[in-house]
Amino acid sequence: MQRMNLQQGRPFANGYSSRRVDTVVGTRTESKTQVRKSASPNFVSTNGTRVGRPTSPSRDRLIYVLTCLVGHHVEVHVKNGSIISGIFHATNADGDFEIVLKMAQVIKDGSVRERKSDHDSIKKPQPMVIPARELVQVLAKDVSLSDEFTPGQSCEKRKDLMIDSVISHSHHLETERELAPWMPGEDDPECPELENIFDGTFDRKWDQFETNEALFGVKSTFNEELYTTKLERGPQMRDLEKIALKIAREIEGEETQDLHLAEERGFSYHDDFNLDEESRYSAVRREVNGSGLRENENSDMEAYGSGIIAGSLGLATSGSCSDSLSKKNGNEAQASCNETQASSTSSSVVEEACLYTLADKGLGLSSVDVSSELKSDCIARSSSLEDEIRLDDNQIKDQGGKSERMAIQDSQTSDDVNTSIKSEEVSISAPLYDPSSSGQGNIITESSDSPVRGKLPAASESVDPPIRQGSSTSSSEYAHAESNRPFLSPSTSCGSLSSEKSTLNPNAKEFKLNPNAKSFTPSSSVRLHAAIPDGSFYQASNVNAVQHMHGLPMGVGVGPSFSHQPVFYNPQAAQIQSPQAYINPNGPVYGQQMIVGQHPQFYYVQSYPPVLALQFSNHRRIKYDLIIT
Amino acid sequence: MEGGNGEELAVGCVLSLRTTLGDEIEGQIIAYDRPSNILVIQEGSSKAGPRRNIRLLKANYIQDFTYLRKAEDPIDPNKCYIDLAGLQAREEASLRQAEIEAERIGVGVTSEAQSIFDALSKTLPVHWDKTVIVVMNEVRVSSPYLPENVIGGTPAANDRVKKVLDFERKRLQVRGPG
Repeated sequence: MQRMNLQQGRPFANGYSSRRVDTVVGTRTESKTQVRKSASPNFVSTNGTRVGRPTSPSRDRLIYVLTCLVGHHVEVHVKNGSIISGIFHATNADGDFEIVLKMAQVIKDGSVRERKSDHDSIKKPQPMVIPARELVQVLAKDVSLSDEFTPGQSCEKRKDLMIDSVISHSHHLETERELAPWMPGEDDPECPELENIFDGTFDRKWDQFETNEALFGVKSTFNEELYTTKLERGPQMRDLEKIALKIAREIEGEETQDLHLAEERGFSYHDDFNLDEESRYSAVRREVNGSGLRENENSDMEAYGSGIIAGSLGLATSGSCSDSLSKKNGNEAQASCNETQASSTSSSVVEEACLYTLADKGLGLSSVDVSSELKSDCIARSSSLEDEIRLDDNQIKDQGGKSERMAIQDSQTSDDVNTSIKSEEVSISAPLYDPSSSGQGNIITESSDSPVRGKLPAASESVDPPIRQGSSTSSSEYAHAESNRPFLSPSTSCGSLSSEKSTLNPNAKEFKLNPNAKSFTPSSSVRLHAAIPDGSFYQASNVNAVQHMHGLPMGVGVGPSFSHQPVFYNPQAAQIQSPQAYINPNGPVYGQQMIVGQHPQFYYVQSYPPVLALQFSNHRRIKYDLIIT
Repeated sequence: MEGGNGEELAVGCVLSLRTTLGDEIEGQIIAYDRPSNILVIQEGSSKAGPRRNIRLLKANYIQDFTYLRKAEDPIDPNKCYIDLAGLQAREEASLRQAEIEAERIGVGVTSEAQSIFDALSKTLPVHWDKTVIVVMNEVRVSSPYLPENVIGGTPAANDRVKKVLDFERKRLQVRGPG
């Protein structure tokens, strides 16, 4: 006896199928009239035969096959030659196996003479029952008998509704297909664009908006200047373009440690070539040299007694740069470096890292050039943005030439170096050590405060900061720079300088309060570099007096600045005063709009006492403690 | 009624049959139920794979047959399981599919109209409204489905339907005049 799993009740249970018989709507063709007539006898016979149901194996097989057909599309041939097509629904298994179809239609009408006319209409499909005596044969295509049990099979083809698991878990052997490249068939005519649209030369005359408007009448509101810097098209356009191209070329031609950049620029990475695809193309950031240098830097700092840097670059954020200017020692340098790094932007961090690395290595930096370069680097770093530096570098490049390339971000270093050479002369005047100030802010602050601070020896008042060096290096640094040429200018100094432009200083030193520290002013943006009158710096500094109180007891430090400006810490207000964009080392870099758009609401804060004022501006994310004495 | 009637047709045998209706069949016997006189044949024995064409034939319509060879039982009686739930699901799916397809067929429309409808449905959303083809729910094309019969909708939609209709008609003429 075959084992058939029919416990759930066969879909073609007697009662059920009989019921179907009764409810059959009826058929149109004459041959079908017999269906109804034979309904009752079937019913009777069904009952009658139920008792004596044969249980032969062959019958079981038949029943099994019929069960497998449920839901299948079948064709039933009947005696008179007609062919009916429909979905197999049920059969009279206990009787004589009449067939019940759903959505059935007569495909070929054998009873009626064939008449082809244009007015032949197609009948709507409906359930049909074909009595056994009419039945000649049942045809079913693509039936799988033995695999019914496979779960995947049962959900085989549901063309209208498919759930993800069905689609993805097609158990029934969709084995690997032999893949052949696609060749366009005959009816794929209009695909000219497939042919390498990028091979053609760039058509400068093509204006997509024009075309769109012409074709579809769509008016575009696209304004390129909303998304990018407005180009000043004028007589200087050419020159500016040339400069820009030059810078671009230089940038792209730089050597870089970064794998991705190197690949982009076409350099074969000079390190080992055992890099797998993941390291080469992954976007995951791995440990960069810079972070690793932190540890080294401190230890090596002592080696460079240059001290200098008096924290000038003291990036406000780090606030660690509280060393007094007098402390021109490694520590200070270190501190400044730390601060610098802490407050510098990421780019400068990298640069600093390089510097530190260079400093650390101490090797190869034997050349005077290098050291000077380093120093200049530091100075150069202060500019907030790389491109600024680059621009400067370009200017100075010829002067300093490229120092010997270091393995680490040489380009940046050297560029900075070159730049710094010039910058040295420039910014150093700034009083420098300004724990609060950071980035360009420092420079600005410092420059303006030099009279106030006077901590550093007169040194260079040559405040001509095309590069906003953390002038913090101040004169002392400058002096030191001179003297320090032979040996590596403390990376600290460089670092501090470099840190000028970055917001984070991984090597930040412990912040020590400097009561006379100048307030911090967020560093400037690219535009600053473009053409900023010195005066603006000074202006800003006034306002920025109170800017960065990072960890300082405000009362003291702020004292002097209060006099000439209401103390309210509001970088935005400061920004308003000067046309440049300030980069808050801690906060996000605001676009030009921030500056231009005056924020009058901040002004009325002026009247508030410092405490309150500071409270208002907390959105800057600069933490500070105000202690009013 | 001649020939195979009354014989015990063994399961697994490969036969070649001819029916009284003129069909010629070759296949392997899966089952034969004597009381109902139904012979279940699995066609395409040479074809690989689990899917075959199954034919249930009333044995009394066999005109003659030829015994070709004996092969083993195509079904393993010990492994015959039926997934009723799956079957029902399949049936529902088939019914759904059939209903969808049925809706595409106009009732009481000429076959020409139906072919026009089919052609339009390739690129436009169409459905029947009695004997009117409704395109994009706004443009109506009534008998005899000529460009003049395109009514309604926005001018743009109307023109588009006219164009497509024209194009399809031409294509139908080229394809098969008749």
